[in-house]
Amino acid sequence: MKRLPLIFFAVSLFAQNEFAQSAAPRNPRTSPEDVAAGAKTFRSHCGPCHGLNAEGGRGPNLTSGIFYHGETDAALLNNISDGIAGTEMPGLFYSPDRVWQVVAYIRSLSSASGAKPSGDGARGQTVFQAKKCSQCHRIGGEGGRLGPDLSLIGSTRSLAHLRQALLDPNADVRQRYWVVGAVTKGGAEQSGFLMNEDTYSIQFLDMSEQLRSIQKADLAKIRIEKVSKMPSFKASLTERELEDLVAYLWSLRPKERAR
Amino acid sequence: MKSPAALAAFLLSLPLGAQVTFEQLRDAPQRNGSWLTYSGGYNGWRHSALDQITRANAGKLKVKWVHQMPTTHLVSATPLVVDGVMYVSEPPSNVVALDAETGAKYWRYARVLPPRINTCCGQVNRGVAVLGDRVYVGTVDAHLVSLDAKTGAVLWDVEVADYRTGYSITVAPLAVKDMIVCGISGGEYGIRGFLDAYDAKTGKRRWRHWTIPEPGQPGSESWSGDSWKTGGGPTWVTGSYDPVQDLIVWGTGNPSPDWNGDSRLGDNLYSDSAIALDANTGRRKWYFQFVPHDVHDWDAVQVPVLVDDEWQGRPRKLVYWAHRNGFYYVLDRETGKFLLGKPFATQTWAKGLDANGRPIRLPNIDPSPEGTYVWPGVQGATNWYSPSYSPKTKLFYLAVWENRSVYRKGEQEYSPGNRYIGSVPLIDLPDDPGYGAIRALNPKTGDKVWEYKLHTKPWAGVLSTGGQLVFGGSDEGYAFALDAENGKEVWRMNTGGVIRANPITYTSKGSQVVAIAAGSSIFTFELPK
Repeated sequence: MKRLPLIFFAVSLFAQNEFAQSAAPRNPRTSPEDVAAGAKTFRSHCGPCHGLNAEGGRGPNLTSGIFYHGETDAALLNNISDGIAGTEMPGLFYSPDRVWQVVAYIRSLSSASGAKPSGDGARGQTVFQAKKCSQCHRIGGEGGRLGPDLSLIGSTRSLAHLRQALLDPNADVRQRYWVVGAVTKGGAEQSGFLMNEDTYSIQFLDMSEQLRSIQKADLAKIRIEKVSKMPSFKASLTERELEDLVAYLWSLRPKERAR
Repeated sequence: MKSPAALAAFLLSLPLGAQVTFEQLRDAPQRNGSWLTYSGGYNGWRHSALDQITRANAGKLKVKWVHQMPTTHLVSATPLVVDGVMYVSEPPSNVVALDAETGAKYWRYARVLPPRINTCCGQVNRGVAVLGDRVYVGTVDAHLVSLDAKTGAVLWDVEVADYRTGYSITVAPLAVKDMIVCGISGGEYGIRGFLDAYDAKTGKRRWRHWTIPEPGQPGSESWSGDSWKTGGGPTWVTGSYDPVQDLIVWGTGNPSPDWNGDSRLGDNLYSDSAIALDANTGRRKWYFQFVPHDVHDWDAVQVPVLVDDEWQGRPRKLVYWAHRNGFYYVLDRETGKFLLGKPFATQTWAKGLDANGRPIRLPNIDPSPEGTYVWPGVQGATNWYSPSYSPKTKLFYLAVWENRSVYRKGEQEYSPGNRYIGSVPLIDLPDDPGYGAIRALNPKTGDKVWEYKLHTKPWAGVLSTGGQLVFGGSDEGYAFALDAENGKEVWRMNTGGVIRANPITYTSKGSQVVAIAAGSSIFTFELPK
C-alpha cells in the first residue's frame, strides 16, 4: 500500500519532465467551459494571494499578459503545478488537465487578448499634452511626480479603469495618493502625498516634490484625506477626446520583450 | 514515561554532559540565564526573572549582534539558548547553532525539501525543542527530526504525516519527560488534525491524539456525514504542560473548510478548543471549545497560560486564554470548566457567553456570497504570537488587533493536498485596515489595565521580565520595551524588517540580552558595557 503512491508520484514527475521538454506544448483545455472551471479553481486556490479577480495582492497582477517567470503555456503550467522557487508561490497538487484550465482562465484575463480601445492613441497624446496632464504625471521620465507614473499604465489597468480614473478620480484612490495635512507644534503647515506611516512618524512627498519625514511627536495636528487631488475631466473632455486619451494611456506598456 | 523508575532509567541513559534534563525544564527553565523551551517554561508565561535591564536603563539598549538568515521566507522562530549556544530554526526547515555571545555560527542543518510544499501562509517555522544533548525540529514536509546539539548531525528523521495530503509542521515541538510532543499544520487543506508524542531517543511514536473524533468516539456526533475525515483541527502552536497533573494543555485550530460550514454541520469537536491530555497516554482529560461550528477561521492556537492563584477566595489551578475570537477566558485547569469570559477587543459576532462559556451568536454574522463584515477579522483579535504573564505585576500581556474582515462564502470541493477553505475572504479592508496594540489585562477580570497603541497590527508576541518591562515588536519593524505597570514606552529601535516572532531573554557572560527575529534576522540587544 505504501509503495503505490510513491510509484505514481515518480511516474507523474517523470511524465511532467518529459512533457516539459517536448516542443512548446499548447494548452489543450481552452473551451469556455474550461475557462469557467479554471476561474473556479483560481478563486479558491490562487485568489488569496493574486486577488479574487487576479488583479494582484500579495502576489502579482495576472491580468496584464506579462508573466515574469515564463510566458509560454508550458511555463505557466509548470509554475502553477510546481510553484516558483525562491518566491512564495506554492504548487498545486491537481492533474495537468485541471491546471490547464487555470492557464486558460489566466489567459482570458490578459488585456492584450481582451477589449481594444475605440479611440485614436496619437490624438490622445495631443489631448494629454493640451490638458497639461504631465504637470503631475510622468511618462518615460518626462513630467511631474505628484501623480502616478503612467509609463506602463496600459499594462496594468483595464480600459474601464482608465476611463473611470479620468471621470471619477475619487472612485479608486490608492493609499499612496492620500493627502496628508500636517501642522507642526510651531504652527507650520505642510501637505503632500502619503508615502508611509508608522506608529511614530509619517513620510510624504510635499506639493513642491520634496520628500518629508516628520515625527508625530513634533506635530500638533495631522489629517489624512482619502481623496484624489486629480480633478475630474468629466466636463472638460468631449466623448471623443476621452476615448482618444484612454487609447493613448492604454498604449503605454512595455516594448515587446526579446524572446 | 510509565513510572518514576523508567524516567530515572531514561535520565541515566543520557550521555554525560547532557545539556537539558526534564527536571531543568520543569523546575528551572531559565537557570544560568538560558531559555530552554518555546515559552520559556512549561507554564506558557514567556516571562523571565532577569532584571538587569530595567525601566531606568532600558533606554540605553543597543544592538549586540545580528544573525542574518539565508532565506526569503518569513522568520517566526523563537530562539532557544542553552549554556551559551543559541539554537534557532531558519525557514523553511533549517536549524542553526550560534554562539549566543557573538552570533558566530557553529553548525547549520539544511533540509532538502521536495519541490511542492503546500503551507497556507508561508513556509515558516516557529522554533526548536531541546532535550538532553539533542535538538528537535519539525519540517514543512511534515517530518520530525532529531539533531545532535553539538554537530547538527541527524540522529533520526521520522515522517509524521504525508505532506502531499496537505500536512506540514511549523510548530516548535515541546519536550516533555522523555518525549517530544509535536503538533501539525494543514487546517486550510482538509487534514484530520492530531497531536503526537515521540520517544526522544528513538523517534518511535508513543501516542497520537486525533483532534477530530472518528465515528463511535465521543464528539463524533458533532460532524455530519464523512466531514470528520477532512475536518481540520490542526495543532500548530506549542502548548503548555502542567507537571503536577502530568497534563498537556494545547490549542486546536479551525475546522475545514474554513469559511463554509455546510458540509460539516454540528459543533465540530474538538476544533477551536483547548484540549488537556494525559502526557503518558495522550488521552483527553477535558476540553473547552471556544467556537462551536466555527466559520470565521478563529483557531484556538494561542499559548495556554497556566497559573495557580486564588479564584473567588480559594486556591485554584487556572488557564488564562485570550482567544482569536476576541474574548479572554479563564478556565479551571483540573476540569476545563469555564470560569470567566470577556471581550478584550472589538467583536460584533456574539451577544456574550452563556454560563458554560458557549457564545451566544448574533444574527447575520456568517460568511455570505456577497460578504459579511465582522469584527474581529480573519486573523483574529490575537493569533499565534505569544502572550505573557508576569508574576510581579500579575498582569496578562498580549498583542491585539482591532480590525474587521469581509467574510465571503463560496463553494469548495475537497481534493487531497489542495486548499480546502470554502471561499476567499477580504482579510484587510484597504481603506479601513484597523490598528493594533499591546494591552495589559487584569487576568482575574479581563479588564484592560493599559494599552500601547500601534498604527499597524502586530504579528509579534510579548515577553515580560523581572526588570518590570514588556518587550514586543511591530510590523513596522520596531522592537520596543514598555513599562510593565503602565505601558509607557521606555525604548524602541527600528530593526528595518517586519517583526513576526516572539522575544526571549537570556544572559551571556553574566549580562542580560534580549533577542527577537526581525526581517530575516535575529537581533540581540544589550546594555552598553
